[in-house]
Parts: sequence; C-alpha cells; structure tokens
Amino acid sequence: MQISALQAFLIGVVYYLGEVGTPWLTFLVSYCGLYRPLIGGTIVGIILGDPVQGCIIGASINLPYIAFMNVGGAAPSNPGLAGTLGTALAMAAGVGPSVAISIAMPLGLLGTLIWIAHMSIDVLFVHVCDKAAAEGDIEKLAFWNLWPPQIVMAIMCIVPVFIGAYYGADVVTDVIAKLPENIMNGLQVVGGVLPAIGIAMNLRQITRQGSLLYFILGFILVMYLELPMIAVAIFGVIFAYTYTSLYMKDGRV
Amino acid sequence: MTKNNEDIKLEKKLTKSDVVKSFIRWSFISHTNYNYERLQASMFTSSLKPVFKRLYGDDPDGMKEALQRHMAFFNTEPHFGGVIHGIVIAMEEQKANGAPITGEAINSIKTGLMGPLAGVGDTLWQGTIVPILLAIGISLGIEGNLLGPLIYILLLTSIMWTIAYNVWMKGYELGTEGIQKILSGNLIQSVIMSASILGAIVLGALGASFVNLSSPIVITIGQFQMPLQSGIIDPILKGLLPLTAIFLSYYLMKVKRMKSLHVMGILFVGAFILGALGILG
Repeated sequence: MQISALQAFLIGVVYYLGEVGTPWLTFLVSYCGLYRPLIGGTIVGIILGDPVQGCIIGASINLPYIAFMNVGGAAPSNPGLAGTLGTALAMAAGVGPSVAISIAMPLGLLGTLIWIAHMSIDVLFVHVCDKAAAEGDIEKLAFWNLWPPQIVMAIMCIVPVFIGAYYGADVVTDVIAKLPENIMNGLQVVGGVLPAIGIAMNLRQITRQGSLLYFILGFILVMYLELPMIAVAIFGVIFAYTYTSLYMKDGRV
Repeated sequence: MTKNNEDIKLEKKLTKSDVVKSFIRWSFISHTNYNYERLQASMFTSSLKPVFKRLYGDDPDGMKEALQRHMAFFNTEPHFGGVIHGIVIAMEEQKANGAPITGEAINSIKTGLMGPLAGVGDTLWQGTIVPILLAIGISLGIEGNLLGPLIYILLLTSIMWTIAYNVWMKGYELGTEGIQKILSGNLIQSVIMSASILGAIVLGALGASFVNLSSPIVITIGQFQMPLQSGIIDPILKGLLPLTAIFLSYYLMKVKRMKSLHVMGILFVGAFILGALGILG
C-alpha cells in the first residue's frame, strides 16, 4: 500500500494531537485517547482508508502498552508514535498483528527522544513565564505557556512522522518481504511476549504486601475460568472493598 | 474555611463560572509546557487565569505576587490532583479579601498535597481505570470491532471528567480544613489499599489474556509423540510460559533494579532467538 504525502502529513497531525501535553482535545483525550494505539491506530486506519484493519493493528500494538504509565514525566516508551507511525507502516507492508508489534516497539523507543526534547526545550519558556509573572501580566504568561511550546512540539512531532510514513513505507515493505520465515516467527514471538513488560512495570508500582498473590488470583480467574475482563474487574472491586473494610475496622492503617 | 467564608464579608467574590472556567482551562492545558525544571508550574498558574483576573484585576501588585507565587515547582496527577486547585482557589479568594493567609501557607498546601495525590491518582487512574477499560476496548478492537475504541473512549471520558470536576469543586467548597479532615482520616488509606488490590487482580487478568507464549515443540520417542505444550506444560499450570515471562521481567526490574528498557531488550532478544529456532511459537 502506498502512503501519499497528504496521508503522511495527517498521520503526523494525529500523532501530534495525541502527544502528552497538546491542549487541543483536552489532556485526557490526548493522553488516554489518541496517544493509545487502540485509538491512534484506528484513526490512522481511517486516514489510510481501512478503519477496521487500523483498529486491529492498533489494538495489537496497544497490547505491550496496556499498563503504560507516565509518572512524573518519566516515560519509558512512547505508545503515541508506536500507535500512529507503527500502524501506518504495518498497514503499508501488509503484515499481521504480531509482526506489527515488533515494528512498532522500536518506534516507541525512538519516540522517547521526542518526549525528552519537549521536556527540555520547555524549560526556556518557563523562564519567559517567570518574567511575565514578575510584570503581573497574566495574558502574556498564558500565551507563553501555550503557543511557543506547542509550535515547537507540533514541528517535532509532525516532521519525523511525515518523513517516516512517506519514505519509510517502501523500506519496511521491502525488508519484510525479504525476511526468511524463521525471522518472521521470531518477530511474532516477540510480539506475543512484550506485553509482559508493561504488566510487570505496573505490578512493580504496587508495593502492598501480597500483591503478587492478588496478581496470580487475577491470572487464574482468566486462565482457568476464562472470565472476561469486565467480570474480573467487578469481582476485583467487590473483593478489594470487602477486604479493605474488614482491615480498616479496627482503625488500623 | 467554609465557616470563615461566612464570617468575613467577601468583597471580591468569585463566581461559580470563574471556578468552572479554571477547571476547563486546566483540562485542556495541564501539560502544554511540561518541563524538567518545574513541571506543571506555568500550567497551574495559567489555568487559574479567570480567578486571578477576578481577584487581582485592579490590584497589579497583588497580581504580580500571586503569579510569582504559583510559578514554583508543581506536579500532580491532573484529575484527582484538581482538589489542590480547588483549595488554592478558595485560599486565594480569602487572601484577596484580607484574610491572614500568607503566600507561604498557600505554597505549602500545594507542595504538601501534590505528592500524595499524584500517588493515589496515578494508581487509580493510569494503573487501574485505564488498563481495565483498555482491556475491554482492545479485546473488541483486536477482532476488528470498531465499537472497541469507541466504547473505551466514551467510558473513559465520562468516568474521568466526572471524578475530576467533582474533586475540583469539592476542593473549593471544603477548603483547607475540610480536605485536611478527609486526608487525615482513613478514607485515603482505604482508597489506596483497595486500588492496589484491584490493580493487582486486574493486572493478573491482563497477563493471562494478552501475554501470548507457547511452544510448538513435539517430543518424539519412537512411535510415541507428545506436544510439549498440551502434553506437559498445560497439565502443570495453564499459562506457565506467560507467567514466567511476567515474573522474570518483574524480578529483573524490582529485585535486580534493572531499567525497564534493558529488560525489554533482554525479552526482545531472548524471545526472538527462541522464536527463530522454533522453540517458542
């Protein structure tokens, strides 16, 4: 599949609109919407004329990032870039979901560079905001808090994705077509195992005693009882509520 | 604080729309100028523009002081953390009307609350609500059902905005003392505890659903053939391989203190080699 210049540009815009900190769709719809490959991939699919395929690829690329967290500005990877450019390249090359994950993950790592640049360059604008604050000029402060950082970020987001989607599609298609079968099999296994990272990272955040046991409980509920996610979630809410109420009854903390 | 509100005649009264407008501003701009030096400082200040204009519109010195005071380092989770904005708005309103509240008091409330609320907020939101809803959305989306992304985003925005709006308004309504009362009680501890238990259970479910690892090896001894996966691994523990991959990553990160990037590298290379050799498939 060919990606036209206009399509490549639009994909860049989708990535920009989803990147952490863009204000145009609210923080929530950016960071929890377009930034997540499930949503970003679907919209890329619409741009490339096949929303269903975009949705399938995007949902798959989202798997390793299902438990993704950006805490205090420290982001281990960039699902936004993986979901937009990754879906575009995977659709252009016509690969299946597992291989799409392997294409997207390295992009996600590259994407952290864009994030780090954003967090660093913005330091300049904070100092202009300081000046505005010293002058008591709230309008000027609000301006420097919004426009300059966003213009810089738009350029940093749209340009690389445009280049990647417009020129990269042929390269990726070529490379994938030439890969021997066992290499493809390797990539597929990688795609299957990478969600483990995101889950382990999240589990690490939970320091409460016994968290590994609760983890295994959830694992077994799905593996053996084959409960759907919503059922596990409801079970979890009731279980956590009951446990906590009993625990707190004596006023313990 | 609410009591004080009645005692002191407020000359510079904020309207409800000032408070709501600030909330809406914050929803849009909470990270526009996010940076390593002071994180959300200028975003916090800018979001309170309607409040500052009302309170200090005809008091240039008061405005200068207020703006400079809020340019200090600030970082919190943007939805649950909105309670801080609510409290700060209430305090600024009091201060502008001559209540004996120092700038330091306002700043210490901010720094005191931003850490704990970021912790609670991130666990509840990024760590629990988002993964659960994503799991539902992904399980539909991966089948090519466009309702997956749609349901995900609709549920997410309605849940999060409801929480964020109410938390913001509650902060303004209750002020410092009311919030301190809530924070010093068992409520926050209970919420953290419930969220971590729920989070761990959900993560387990996610691991079982979405980590995909099995072996295609078939053991052949003479006439006797036995597939490794269904013949040996599954009877021991269904999902043994995915569980191993998760616990290995967990062990490397938590106990060995390795960076997630390095663990990802190890998993990537390991899985690739084993897959290419046909041991995993």
